[in-house]
Amino acid sequence: MSTVLRVESIVKRYSDHAVLNGVSLELARGEAKVIMGPSGTGKSTLLRCINHLTPPDEGRVFLEGEELTSENINKIRQRLAFVFQDFNLFLHLTVLDNVRIGPRRILGQSKEEATERALTELRRVGLEDRANYYPAQLSGGQQQRASIARALAMDPKVILFDEPTSALDPELTGEVVAVMKQLASEGMTMLVVSHEVAFARSAADKIIFMEGGYIVEEATPEVILRNPRSDRTRGFLKAIGEQEAV
Amino acid sequence: MSEFLDFAAEHLPYILEGLPTTLALWILAITFGFFFGLLLAWCRIYGGRLAYSLATVYVEIFRGTPMLVQMFFIYLGLPEIGIVFDPFTAAVVAIGLNTSAYQAEYFRGALLSVPSGQMAAAQAMGMSRMQALIQIVLPQALRRVLPQWSNEAILELKFTSIAFAIGVTEITARAEKIGYQTFEFFNTFVLVALVYLVLTATVAELLAWLERKTYVPGVTARAG
Amino acid sequence: MIWNTLYDNLPYLLHGTWIALQLLAGLLAIGLVLGLALALVEVYGGRLARVCGIVFERVFRGIPAVVLLLLSYYGVSDFIEIPPFLAAVLALGLRSTAYQSQIFRGAIQAVPVGQMMAARALGMGRVEAIFRIVIPQAMRHAIGPWTNEFSSELKATSLAYVIGVIELTRQAKYIISSTQGNILIVFGVVAIIYFIINRLGNIALYRLEARMTVPGFERRRA
Repeated sequence: MSTVLRVESIVKRYSDHAVLNGVSLELARGEAKVIMGPSGTGKSTLLRCINHLTPPDEGRVFLEGEELTSENINKIRQRLAFVFQDFNLFLHLTVLDNVRIGPRRILGQSKEEATERALTELRRVGLEDRANYYPAQLSGGQQQRASIARALAMDPKVILFDEPTSALDPELTGEVVAVMKQLASEGMTMLVVSHEVAFARSAADKIIFMEGGYIVEEATPEVILRNPRSDRTRGFLKAIGEQEAV
Repeated sequence: MSEFLDFAAEHLPYILEGLPTTLALWILAITFGFFFGLLLAWCRIYGGRLAYSLATVYVEIFRGTPMLVQMFFIYLGLPEIGIVFDPFTAAVVAIGLNTSAYQAEYFRGALLSVPSGQMAAAQAMGMSRMQALIQIVLPQALRRVLPQWSNEAILELKFTSIAFAIGVTEITARAEKIGYQTFEFFNTFVLVALVYLVLTATVAELLAWLERKTYVPGVTARAG
Repeated sequence: MIWNTLYDNLPYLLHGTWIALQLLAGLLAIGLVLGLALALVEVYGGRLARVCGIVFERVFRGIPAVVLLLLSYYGVSDFIEIPPFLAAVLALGLRSTAYQSQIFRGAIQAVPVGQMMAARALGMGRVEAIFRIVIPQAMRHAIGPWTNEFSSELKATSLAYVIGVIELTRQAKYIISSTQGNILIVFGVVAIIYFIINRLGNIALYRLEARMTVPGFERRRA
């Protein structure tokens, strides 16, 4: 298996409080990993450090062997998509334009090509009939699916998901999880910060458990969810009501 | 620089002799505008058809035309039909009528922004409608309107300089006189600009203090 | 008769109106370009840029338009010859810059930070994200307050009277002194002209606002 994304010893401090204490991880092609852990343990910060939305204080990130630097960051981000907790669809653009703007303006595709690509991705997330709506006219779940389509239209090597369902009403998380499961089954390389145990159990290759700015353990969903090595992992899973009987 | 300071030291006193005129003009005009503006807002919200229409036409006319034209109309035009004002009074009337139209709109917005439950609660206690308006709704509305009202008041302070066009010897008129005496127009008008900057900053500070002083949690956002 | 006087002087009033409109267009254009630039520098620039911008705003908003006009005409004439019209465009244009930069700054800050972040995450550069994502949204927030700015600057053009620009108000004064009277009527007509221009301008800007509005950007009534 070839490594697509390699993250080496990321450190991030705010004033003198360290949020990330040297976090390293790897993602192989086609792999889906879910990062779990109590809130405030740096999961989202880690994701933002990976694509330098929040520049890390120390550590390095490689995408397909190429190191992220301040010079190539815009190029790298085109292949390292990011899905936000609160969607961040461009509010003045229709759904179609939101998905099309990347291929058209950043990748420089022709209008026809970009439109076709956008419509393909909208079909993939089940939103082709909402192409001409504005974000304000969509439900949260639809907005999040549109933002996934926007990420997909860039033809990314990796998609980073930052708590993609936590801003949604409970009854709307299902449609987003379904799209993510489908992507994982199609072989998309994904790094997901989420508490959606159902997704982790059925679609993740590995679960990474983080606490206090460290990775506590990384293992397959069966191991983590059934028999975690660490007491802290066990405690967390118990707290969210997901530890299965040993 | 020291040349300018010498110039300022020599001529500032003469300019500042216009300060009482400027301030009197301003205070009389915004006070008139306050009461007349409230009345206009009242007519537009609670008035009958006629009162509403008259107040609306008034507000539209005075907000839709320049103050200088209004001032010429009052000072130069009204004597044609036998209404004669001295320049100072004409300026007070013109600025007062003008600002009342703007203040009316701010008051209207503020009165309408007071939740209707306030009126209901007051009437439920046995207050009359008028009593409830004056004792409950108006105090809240005035607190809400204060930031906008402060802006308007400062705007009018600057507009008092327009009165120089009809011969009121306030600050700007005195500066112009010095300009023609010394032919140092640049220094003169920089000096008077500084006077206005200090004046507007001081007034802004005073009004901000008033805002903090009258702050009540929940009625308005905290004053900055 | 009054009507004959008005009829005879109509060309002067129209010419004065034309000058006033040119002055208005010039000063609003200066204010738009410099005001937007200043707002961008204040929001995205460093501390020094922000401080400079705020000082500029404070100064040009704290000084009366009349004084700025006198300074820019008589004051500048101490050093170089300057035509009154140019002096008026500059003085009122810089003043409008201060007001417009405040409008645009507020409008840019009203765009959620996530919009910039999402654009950067797609691989857009900062400048491209500002122009493609932030400014189009900010303009939709700005157009309401900008309509007020239009009205207040239209009225401010009459102040160019004090430095001898032969705009509408000064034409009115000329007509009055040459015809010895008719003051109420002449100023009444002039007031109506300002009123109509203001109305037409507002209607045009409301139309533009309606055309620019997309769901999610409806005007939030105060």
